[in-house]
Parts: sequence; C-alpha cells; structure tokens
Amino acid sequence: MRQSLAIRLLDNDWAGPGLISLMAIAVISILQPAFLSPFNILVLLSAIAVNMVVALGQLVIIGVGQMNLALGALGGLVAICFVGAIEVLGVPAPLAIVLGLLIGIVAGMANGVIIARTGISAFIITLASLQIFKGINLGITKAQPFYGVPDSVKQFGNTAVFGSIPWLILPAVLGAFCLWYLFRHLRIGRYILALGGNRQAAELSGIDTTGTVIWAHALSGLFAAAAGMMLVARLQIGQPTIGDDWLISSFAAPVIGGASLSGGHVSVAGTFFGVVIIAIITQALVLFSIDPFVVQIVLGGLILWAVGINRFREWRLSKLAIQGA
Amino acid sequence: MRNSILKSGLAMLAVAGLASPALAGSDTKVALVPGGPHPYFAAWEQAGKDAMKDFSLAAGDYRVPQKWELSQQSQLLESLLTQGYNAFLIFPGDAVGTNAVVQEIVDNKGIAIATAGCLKDPTPALFCMGTDTGNSAYLGTKELIKAMGGKGRIAHFTGFLVDPNTQLRIDAVKKAADETNGAVTVVQVIADIDAPQPAEEKINAYLAAHAADVDGIVTTAWVPAVTAANSLRKLGDKRIKMVGIDHDEVVIKAIKDGFVNGTMLQNPYGQGYLGSYVLNKLRGGCKLKDDAPWKSNALTKKFVDSGTVFVDASQADNYVDAMRAITKTILANFEKDYMTCS
Amino acid sequence: MTTAASDSATTPEPGAAEVPRPSVTLQVLLSNEFGLAALIAVAVVIFATSLPGFTSPFSLFTLSRQIGIDTMIGLAMMAVIVTGGLDLSVGAIGACAAMFFGFGLEQLGLPLPVAIVFALLLGAGLGAINGITVVRSGVHSFIITLASMSIFFGVMIYLTQAKGFNGLPPGVAAFGRMKLVGPVSVLLVTTLAVCAGLLVLYRFTALGRQMLSAGANARAAELSGIEVGRTLIFCHALTGALAALAGLMLTARTGAAVPSMAGHLGQDWLLPAFLAPVLGGTLLTGGRVSVIGTLLGATFVTVITSGLLLMRVSEFWVQAFLGLMLLAAVLIDKARHTLLRRRGMI
Repeated sequence: MRQSLAIRLLDNDWAGPGLISLMAIAVISILQPAFLSPFNILVLLSAIAVNMVVALGQLVIIGVGQMNLALGALGGLVAICFVGAIEVLGVPAPLAIVLGLLIGIVAGMANGVIIARTGISAFIITLASLQIFKGINLGITKAQPFYGVPDSVKQFGNTAVFGSIPWLILPAVLGAFCLWYLFRHLRIGRYILALGGNRQAAELSGIDTTGTVIWAHALSGLFAAAAGMMLVARLQIGQPTIGDDWLISSFAAPVIGGASLSGGHVSVAGTFFGVVIIAIITQALVLFSIDPFVVQIVLGGLILWAVGINRFREWRLSKLAIQGA
Repeated sequence: MRNSILKSGLAMLAVAGLASPALAGSDTKVALVPGGPHPYFAAWEQAGKDAMKDFSLAAGDYRVPQKWELSQQSQLLESLLTQGYNAFLIFPGDAVGTNAVVQEIVDNKGIAIATAGCLKDPTPALFCMGTDTGNSAYLGTKELIKAMGGKGRIAHFTGFLVDPNTQLRIDAVKKAADETNGAVTVVQVIADIDAPQPAEEKINAYLAAHAADVDGIVTTAWVPAVTAANSLRKLGDKRIKMVGIDHDEVVIKAIKDGFVNGTMLQNPYGQGYLGSYVLNKLRGGCKLKDDAPWKSNALTKKFVDSGTVFVDASQADNYVDAMRAITKTILANFEKDYMTCS
Repeated sequence: MTTAASDSATTPEPGAAEVPRPSVTLQVLLSNEFGLAALIAVAVVIFATSLPGFTSPFSLFTLSRQIGIDTMIGLAMMAVIVTGGLDLSVGAIGACAAMFFGFGLEQLGLPLPVAIVFALLLGAGLGAINGITVVRSGVHSFIITLASMSIFFGVMIYLTQAKGFNGLPPGVAAFGRMKLVGPVSVLLVTTLAVCAGLLVLYRFTALGRQMLSAGANARAAELSGIEVGRTLIFCHALTGALAALAGLMLTARTGAAVPSMAGHLGQDWLLPAFLAPVLGGTLLTGGRVSVIGTLLGATFVTVITSGLLLMRVSEFWVQAFLGLMLLAAVLIDKARHTLLRRRGMI
C-alpha cells in the first residue's frame, strides 16, 4: 500500500502536537498581536529551553520503561550546589558547571546502579532518592536562597544570541540533538528502547540490561543537572525550591508528544512540541488576563482540547488508511 | 544563619547564661513552627534563641515542617507536643484548618499564638500576632498609587489561591484602587505563583505583552516580589512603579538601584521574640485582658500588629534598625496594655 | 500471617511459573507484606525503647489517625493502579468532596448522613467522569487525570473562592478526636473496615476479579467475555469514592472543610497515594493489588516519620533521613527476599 506524503507526515508522533502548536500560535497571535513581539518570543523560548531539558531528562527514563521521580529534586540540589560552590567556596563558574554536571551524573548513576542491581521498582528507588536529594538541599540551605550568582551566568540566562534567540536555547538544542542521535544511531539508544519495549526479549538477545539502565539514569541525571543550572541562570538566584514543580510537566510533555509510559517508544521531536504546547498554554492564560480563579479550569480544558485534536488526527488517519487500502 | 555549630554553642550559653531572677527556672518550652521551609521565617531561629536567653526559657526552638503541607505541619506539632513543648508560636498552614491541631495543643495543656498569619475565629489560639496581610497589601497599594501620581493601571502578583490570605490581599489591593474613584484600576491579578519557575514564566510573559499597558506593579508574596524585581531590572524599566513585599536581598537591592519603589516590610524577628516573651508570661500566671486594645482584621478580633513599614530607598540600608525599634516599643507596653499579672 | 500472603490477589500469569512453586511457609516469608510487617515491628521496638513519648497515648492516637488517613489515600490510588493506569486527580477529588460536604452541611443544612452520602457520590461521580473519558478517548489516564485535576480543583476554587467551611456540626470534629479501643483513632477503625470491604471485593466478588483480570491483560479479559471498558470505569469510580472518603476523614481531623487540605491542585496527596500501595507490593503495571500491603506501607512510612520527628533530627535534615530509611528498608527487604529464595531453592 502506497501512502501519500501527507499521510506519511501525519503519521509521525510529532505531527499531532506540531499541528496543535501551530494552530495555537496562529489563533493567539491573531487575538493578541503582542504574542509575536520579539521580547515575548524571547521569553517563550527561554521557558521552552529549560522545560525541554527537563522533559528530556524524563524522556530517557520513560524510554527504558521506568520513571524518575527524583528528577526535580536532583535538579534543585545541583542548582544550589552550583551557586553554593561559587558563593561559599569561590569556585570559578566554568568549574562549578562541570562540578554540577558531575553531581548530576553521579547521583543519576547511583539511582541506576541501585535499580539495576536490586531489581526494585525505579518508582520506589527514585522516590527515596527524591527525599534524600531534597533533604540534603534543605539541610545545606535551610530554605535560604544563595544570591551569589556571577554576572556571566546571569547574562547567559537572560540575553539573546541575536534577535529573539536566547542563549539558553543552546544547551536545549544540543541536548535534544544528542538524544535524538543517541536513540537513532547509537547502540545504547537502541538498547534503552529495546529494554523498555520488551525486557525479556532484550535480555534474551544478550543486551547488558544492568549497564543500559545505569546509563539511562546517568543521562537523566545529566539533563536534570543542566536544567537546574539553566534555571539558576534564568532566575538569577539559587532558589532551594528549584525543581519542586518539575514532576508533572516532565511527564506531560513526553506523553503529549507521543511517548508510551510503558516504555520502548519515545519521540524527541514530539516531546519538543509537547513542551511548546504547555508553554503556549501557560502564556495564553496570562496574555488574555484570565481571572485567576478560572485559570485552572481553562488550563485543564486546554489540555483536553490538545488531546482531543490529537485523537481526531489519529482517527482521520485510520479512516484515510482504510480508504487507501 | 547557616551555622549549626554556632547554634548548639549558643544554646549551651543560653542554658548557662544569666537568668533573670523573677523568671528563674521557667519551664516554658517554646516551639516556633512556620508553615514550611521558607526564607521569611529564618529570623525566627535567632529570635527563639535570643528569647530563650533573655527570658530564661527552657527552650526556644525553631522547628520547621519538611514540606509546605498542612498535614506535615500538623504531624510536626503533634510530635512536638509529645516531646514536651508547651508553648507554641505557629504560622498557620491554613487559617481555618490549623485550628484543629491548636485545639489539640490546648487540650494537652499547651498554649499557642498564631504568629505572622492569623487563624480564623472561633479559634483556640490565644490571639494573633503578625502582619495584617490585608492591611499590608492595602498600604502597599496606597504607596504605589502615590508613586504613580494618583492614576494609572496596576498589575497584582500574588501567591497560592488555596491560602485564604491571598483572597484578602486581592480584595485589599482592589479596595485601595477603588478609593481613587476610577483613576487607578487593577487590570490583572496573577496568582498561584509561589514557585520560582512559574512565577518567572508568567510574570515575564505578562510584561512582554503588557508592559506598555501597566503603570504599576504590586506584589504581595515573597517569590513574585523577587521575580518581578528581577524582571523590571532586566527590562531596564523605571517607568513602571513597583511596591514589593518582604526583605529578600534582590528586592532591597532593586530598591537601592531604583527599579523598585519600596517594599512592605514585615517583622519576623519581632514576631518570634515578642511571641516567646508573651507565651512565657502567660504560663507564669499572667492573663490576657479582654478589654485590651485588640485590633480586628478579616480573620480575627484579637489581633496584635507586629508592625509593617513601607521601606523605600532612603531606609533600604537600615531597615533592620527600624524593625528593632518597633519591636522594642511593642515589648515595652505589652504587659501594661494586654495583660494582668498578679 | 497466612492471611497476609493470601491477600495478594493476583491473576495467574504465564510468566509466574519461572521457579518451582515454593512451600506455603516460604511463600508467606517471601511476601511483601511479611517483609513490611517485620520492618515495622523492628522500627516500633527500636523507637518504643529509645524514644520516650513514642508510646504515650497521645502519640499512639495521632499515629493511628495518620495511618488511617494515609492508608485511605493509598487505597484510593490502589483501586485505579489495578488497571495499570493512575489518577493524578485523587487530591482534587478529595478536596472537592470535602468542600461539597462542608457546603451541604453549612449552607444547605443537610443532615450529616445525607451529606456524607452525597459527598461520596460526588467523589464516585468525578472518578467515573475520569474513567469514561479514559475509556472513550483511549488516551492514557495520566493525561486525562492531569487535565481533570486542574478542572475539578479549578471549579472548586472558583465556586468557593477558596473560603473554607468552619461552621460544621461539632460532631464532625468530635469524630476526628474520637478514640476506640484504647488510644486508637476511630479514623483508623474506619479504614480497617474499608480494607476488609476491599479484600472481599477483590477476592470474592465477580466484579473484583474482573477488575484484576482487566488490569492484568485487557485483551485476554475481553476475550473471556469481560466488559473491560465498564470495569475500568468502575475502578475509576471506586478511586473517586475512596478519595472522597479520605477527604471526609481529613475534614473530621481538621474540624473544617478547607480547600488547602490537599495542597495546590491536590498535589500533596500524590506522594502518600503512590507510596503506600507500591511499598505494599501493588504493581504499577496493573493486575495485582495488596490491600494489607497498602495498609502496612502507610503504617511503615508513618511510624518512621514519627520516629524521626521524635528523635529531633536537625529540622532541615529530616527529609534526607526519611529517604535514607526508605532506601534502607527496601534494600533490606530485597536482601531478605534473595536470601530466602536461595535457601528455598536448595
């Protein structure tokens, strides 16, 4: 059966969320022209950049068929360690970034090692490590922010490369590309998806499951660390509460983007559009001056609307496929 | 603030320290319990220690729930009661919901004062000492309107809607604007932004689209104040006037640099220190007067204002002294005005 | 202890026959429930001997009340985890039901039993809405309940303008303070009764067994004549009703119906909701539940938390220690499991 180009395009995971994003952008910019002002695009892209890295951190783990509840707690811990190292220990910023990324990788690996070696559900292990990371964070900071963010870091978080493209996009694009490449072309990426798709089959085909799980969690930790430090740059302050609200959005973006929560099936491009949809919805609520008491209702309605469109696309697609057959 | 070794050292000092003869051997164990980890309450730790030393308390401990959750705070309070604490300064996790655990404290021969925020009447708490949240928002908006030259459009950024204080703040800001007979209007209220990331996203998105449509910003919660101050600095905008809340370094610095006009300061240290003093007095046999000059607010009829002041650039360096002075004034007259001691 | 083992209601799975079937005693010793019970016993003995006040009547009372509430929240989530799905809106449903309960009593003047029934029905109704949407749309329950969490909570906040009801009849608060059998809170007794009901449901009724088989393998269940869609909706409705009950129990404890009782969007409940069932051996992939395990899971967490608070661990480090103890607990349990299995195999 030969399919037309349109159907093949629509058949992608990211087609639905992409379509919804475009529609939303079109509608909002007609109703509120300020939406496309350079400064607003800068604001939007900055928010997307950070949330994208957060979502990627969860995407890896979703791929392997697990959940990482500690993502936000780890991001927060790295964020305060990063600023703390600069402010209290006088570590230069580039070194502090490396230190932060290392903390992320090591902490992620620790999660992975325990999960892979014991076979205990990742849900439980990361729930425990969530408490540990957050506890260490509070133990260090006593809920007080660190203020000593160097100007170079603040600049990075709040200025544009050119026009409306913020510097923050850089790590997000880099991360997304690497992860896409990893899933597409690297052995470890295929292992992750194979393991998430069917554990028994993966084991039988001789995949090193322990190593794969550890790698996935180390990657997730790396992304969490990067996102934590990006937020520091953006907020210009080392808040101990960074990461507290990542949990749901980190799952929502990949799932809107077509990832299967049972593992084995992920889409980096779809996740990107998932992040875009969430960012646009958040902005729209503010742009249209919606009564704060109604905001949550509208938010929920918009999520359902996005889901509905996506279902409609799939439904149309299956009808077309039947007609074509 | 971050030194726990110093803390234990101070505690030992306080035990061995000078005991004022009248109160020697006080068995008052005060626990200062905020609603969750939050920088606002950091001053309570020192306040508790100072009160312990100055009034010879058996304890003056700052104990923080692990998370900003009503049930976590209740669990901690119940545990503290089991540990033998008998006098409590509590920031209510919920103005209505915290009454139940305070009732439990009273049932177990403890006493409690709602501190920094109030409990809604009828309440088993002795009284409420803190910032009149509604009034503070009202006064802050008045200052903002003054800075705006008496006319213009205001955006209001505030905290979680589940907190009843948020509604009081929204009403108070609106009231101040309404008193100008239409010269000032509140064009936008953004709520539920107590977390830094959503606050940053929403405030920036709002300013990106509407910076030209607003003349003033009033913030009535800690995180939005910090975020809005940073946003105005980033925009380099000094046309939009802003009045913040609390004493975060970012806000104070923005006031000095002219991006923010001022902030409504609260008195956390004074709340902790005065509260401990009063609790000890009441356990020592003093009684609260019914005809004391209680103030009344939207939540309770027994309210003592711990002081809020508007701080602008001229006082940004010595605001701590201003609050200390207020604390001293309240302390000097409290026994005479509010208590009968045999 | 045999009851603990037989409580784990599982549908036979093809992969379950990987090891030669162990003896009944070994099965008991291997069970998640036994491990948790043993850990709880050890923790209680240590705390009771080393922490004065842990066994005081007041402490036992608050402990039992907390266990009652957290277990109920856990059971609510467990009822939907059966399907292999989840419900992020449990806290929102609980808060909605509690606020409706307060509204009914205070504004409509409903008699207490009627208000309770209405609140539970509302919870079941909201749960059913989740279920119907999930079944009809075929979208994962994560996304659907993410949206409905926002909508349910938003409507509640809009209607109440975030104002609580504190003029409830004194009976409500009295119930929250009531003790049965020594220091045991009546709330825990309520939860135990619900546990018994759920045990019967999952073990002895057709509906319960259908829930389990639909969760374990929807296609197989469909083939064997089970109406999977309707069964899933029942699961969601049960979750809603249990969440509503948890909301009412919290209202009794608080003596007032307040919108903040489950935090912003009801998210404060998510941790206890997942923690108790998963610790207790309920599989997130569906098809297996453990009612007793959920009870023990909530008990374990509550006991540890209470012990840590009484130990006066420096305030800001409590959470880190809680995480460490949790990690230690599951690792010890795992070691026990491995050891027993190795012995059993010989």
